[in-house]
Order: sequence, then structure tokens, then C-alpha cells
Amino acid sequence: MRAICVVLGLATASGPLGAQALAPGAAAAVVQTHLLSQVASGSARFSGVLAGGQGVLSVGRVGLALSYVQGRVAPDGASGPGYDLVEGSVLLGARPVPWLTVSGGPHARAYGLLSGTERWLFWELRVRAAGAWVGSAARGYAELWRAVSASVNVPETFDHAQGAEVGMAVHFARAPLEVRLAYRLDHAVLRATGGPGLRLETVDGVLVALGVSGR
Amino acid sequence: MTLQSRLAFVAFLAGLSRGAAAQGSAQTAGVPFADGIRAYQDLRFEQAAALLRRDLARVSPATASVAERTQGLAYLGAADLFRGQRDSAVAVFRRLVRLDPRYRPAALLFPRTVTNVFDSVKVETRTILVVTPPDTEFSAGAGAYRFWVVSSGFQSVEVSLRYQDGGPFRTLYVGPIGDSLRVQWDGLDAAAQPPSVKRVLLRVTSRAPTGELAGIVQQPLDVHLVHPDTLAWPRPPADSLFLPERAGSGPAQRAILGGVLLGGLIAALPTVVGGDPPSGPRFAVAGTVGVAAMLGSVLHRPGRLLPANIATNQKRRDQWQRYLAGVKADNARRRDDIHVAVRAGEATAMLPSGR
Repeated sequence: MRAICVVLGLATASGPLGAQALAPGAAAAVVQTHLLSQVASGSARFSGVLAGGQGVLSVGRVGLALSYVQGRVAPDGASGPGYDLVEGSVLLGARPVPWLTVSGGPHARAYGLLSGTERWLFWELRVRAAGAWVGSAARGYAELWRAVSASVNVPETFDHAQGAEVGMAVHFARAPLEVRLAYRLDHAVLRATGGPGLRLETVDGVLVALGVSGR
Repeated sequence: MTLQSRLAFVAFLAGLSRGAAAQGSAQTAGVPFADGIRAYQDLRFEQAAALLRRDLARVSPATASVAERTQGLAYLGAADLFRGQRDSAVAVFRRLVRLDPRYRPAALLFPRTVTNVFDSVKVETRTILVVTPPDTEFSAGAGAYRFWVVSSGFQSVEVSLRYQDGGPFRTLYVGPIGDSLRVQWDGLDAAAQPPSVKRVLLRVTSRAPTGELAGIVQQPLDVHLVHPDTLAWPRPPADSLFLPERAGSGPAQRAILGGVLLGGLIAALPTVVGGDPPSGPRFAVAGTVGVAAMLGSVLHRPGRLLPANIATNQKRRDQWQRYLAGVKADNARRRDDIHVAVRAGEATAMLPSGR
């Protein structure tokens, strides 16, 4: 958290606030999601489509990014009950240089299981690099994150979690619209209480978003 | 008057003259004719005439103004008249009229006897005075060199410019003149061209109503043509100011390299992050990125025309062309706008023989 505060301070100090305009952006997002839950006794795969939205509000080099998706996932290749998956994040970020964004904040995920709701809350630190790639219309980006702390209401204890998202955004020439295609991957490791076993939770997905660009 | 008294008067006059001579230079430098005028006011007309003649012989246009000289001549004429020298007075008044045709003796200073004689002399003396401005510069054709022709009375005049050999250069006015006439010259010759000579003569020929030649006043005018400086043409914009009109190889290479980088990152994400996700979606996204990279490299292929840059460059060239055209037009106007500088010389008057 201290690192985030330092980056935010540097970013805001680097330009006069009076000359900084508010730049909002919003997008509708669809994520084709796959879940892989691995324990010592076996693994289970689920997949489904999540839908939701993303928004960003920037002032100069500081920005607030919000995201929310929800949907239902079902077992892959087997019959069985599925469950609801809800995911959201609030990230406060800063751009010390135009191509680099450092952000941090809570990232929550909830599984609506039959036995009850399983809640995961990660406090993440993210680093994102972006740049023009094909002319000025297409930009590529890569984002890595790591959980600095987590709260999970499962029997296992949290060990670590990290993830990444890599993709491209194409900005329309004649309209403030932007379409985004990305691949995201999260991997969390939990340790069984009182034993050597591990629980590995891997969530990946293909994200397609269409929205109004604030750039 | 006895011989002794005559000698005493002569001695008095001589002493007065010496005293006056001693003060002469100071008078000329200060107020000319003051002693002569004082003597006239004291009714010492002989002495006044002598002092005034002496002062008039000393002064020049540089040391005494026309007004001062006309005043001296008026008092001298009046003094001559009162000492019985009418012919001398007439000659002085004639000289006065020629110096300033518009002069009239003030009735408060001079009695009717004097003004009557002056008026009769003025009627008989047909004279012309040309009053020219100091060094003047004007635009040939559009501007004008303006001067006054002053007459002592009604007569006919011909105002013309002549070459130095006397040949006609330009006739400015032919007709009657009463008191004065303002004449102007537009700086061109009879063919409406700027003068090709450096000196012309301004000649005013005056004639009595009977047609008899009354006099000629001639004044040289030094003429100098001034060509205004033209502006230098603006330099064409430097090559460094123009944007490239064809795409280089950079954007296409960047598209390919970016696609390889992004696609590689996507494919390698499980290695970086961990986990064992299905490969299908990952490679689908990586493939899409690859296709976008190929498309981008085609769209940004080297040698492709860049319309935005071409338009920007053309705008810059047009801007320079407009500026150049403006400078050319301004230079053409400047070349046509020839100025004529005129410096008037000393006027000379020629009188017909017998006058």
C-alpha cells in the first residue's frame, strides 16, 4: 500500500491539477471463463460466460478503475450443478510515465455454491504497460498483478495469488469507441490446514469489451 | 546755410555715420534697420535714407528675412519721398514690390502721400514671385510638388517646367492670376513619365493684359528619383519542416514485432502466472493478435502514401506561396511607386529691356 501511495503522489505532483480534465470511460464486457480447481484428490473444470461492465475515471495521471462481471459456470464434460460466479474490483491507479500504470485495490470474487457462498477478497498490486502498436489506433497492453493479502472463507489458508491480462484495444477512427480483446489468467494457491496438500484455483478467460474510450 | 554750418552738418552726419557704422554689425545681427527707422521717426530723413541704404547694402537673404527687408525698403522709400527724391522713392518701391508683391505699407505707419505713391508704383510694376517649399519628396503621379505664384497685380502667367536648355518639359498653368496662384506638379513629364533629367527649370512668364511681356522668373529645381527598397523574397520552408509523405518501414515493423510480443506473452502466460488452463482460448486470442499484427503491417506498409502528411505539407507550401505572392505584389507596387525628391534653387528674375 505504501508503494501505491508513493506512486500516486509522484503522479499527481508531476502535473498541474488545474490543467487536467476529467476523462471518463465505460465498456460492456463479456468474459468466456474457465475455472480449474485442483486438490490432491482430483480436479474439477467449469466454464461459462460472465457479463458485466467496466469503467474508468481519470484525472490527469490518476485514475479509478471499476469492473464487475457475473454469470454462471457449469462443469466441463460432465453433468452436474453449476454455480454463480460474481467478480468485481476497485483499483486506484497512477501513471508515472505515459506507458506505465501502477494501481492497487480490492478484487473480490464470490462462488455461489450449494453449500454456501465462497468469498475471496484479494488486495492486489498491479503493474500495466501499454503502448501504440499498429499506428495510433491499436494499442497493446500487458498487466501483471499479485495479491499482497487475501481473505478467503474456505478451510484452507491462503498462500499466494497472482494473475495477468494481455490484450489489445482498437480505437475507432471516427467515433470515441473502443473494442478490446484480451486473455486473462488468475492463479491462487491455498494450503490445506494441518497438512501438506495444496489447493490450486486457476481462472482464465477471454475478454471482449466494447465501450466509450476516454482517451 | 553758410559754409560753416554746412561743414558742421557734414561733420555731424559723418560722426553719426561712424557711430552708426560702429553699431552696424550688431544691428545686422540683431534688429536690422533699427537706426534708420528711428531716424525716420525722428524726421531726420536724410540720415534715415543713408542708414537704411547702408543696411540694405549689407543684408542678405541669410541675415534678414523678407519681412525685415521689405520694412527697410518701405522706410527708405518714404524717407526718399520726404526728402524730395521722388524718382529714388519710386525705384525703392519698385524694388520693394519685386521683393514681395503682396506687400502693402501700413496706413498707421505711413501717411497717404507715401501709400499713394507706393500704390501707383505697384500698379505699374508687374512682378511675379515664386514661393517654393523646402526640400520635398512626393510620390510621382499620386502626390504633387506644390508651390505658390504670387503676383503684384492682375496679369497673365504661364507656369512651366523646362529642360536646362530651355526646351519645354511640362506646362503647368497658363492663364490669369490675381493675387496668388497655387500650382502643383505631379512629378511627371509631358508624356506622364518620371523625369529623366536631374534638373529642370521652373519658369513663370508674366504678361500685362495688353500681352506685353512683364517679366520672367526662373528657378532651378534639382530632381532626384527615389526608388523604394523592395522586400526580399521569403525563403521556401526548410525540408525539415515537411512531414514524410510516404510511410517508412517503422510502423509495419512495429506492428509485426508488437504482434509477436503480445502473442508470445499470451501464449506464455501460464508459465509466468502458473496454473494449467486450457490452451484453446489462449491460442485463439494469440492468433487474433497475430492476424491484427499482419493486417496492421499491411495497412502500414512501407512506401504507403500518407494523406494527412501530404495535406499538411501542401498547406505549408500554399501558405508560403501566398506569402510569396503578397511580397511580389508589394514589390511591384513599390517599384511603381517612384518618389520624386525636389530641391529648389535660387530664383532669378529677368525683366524685359527698358524696365
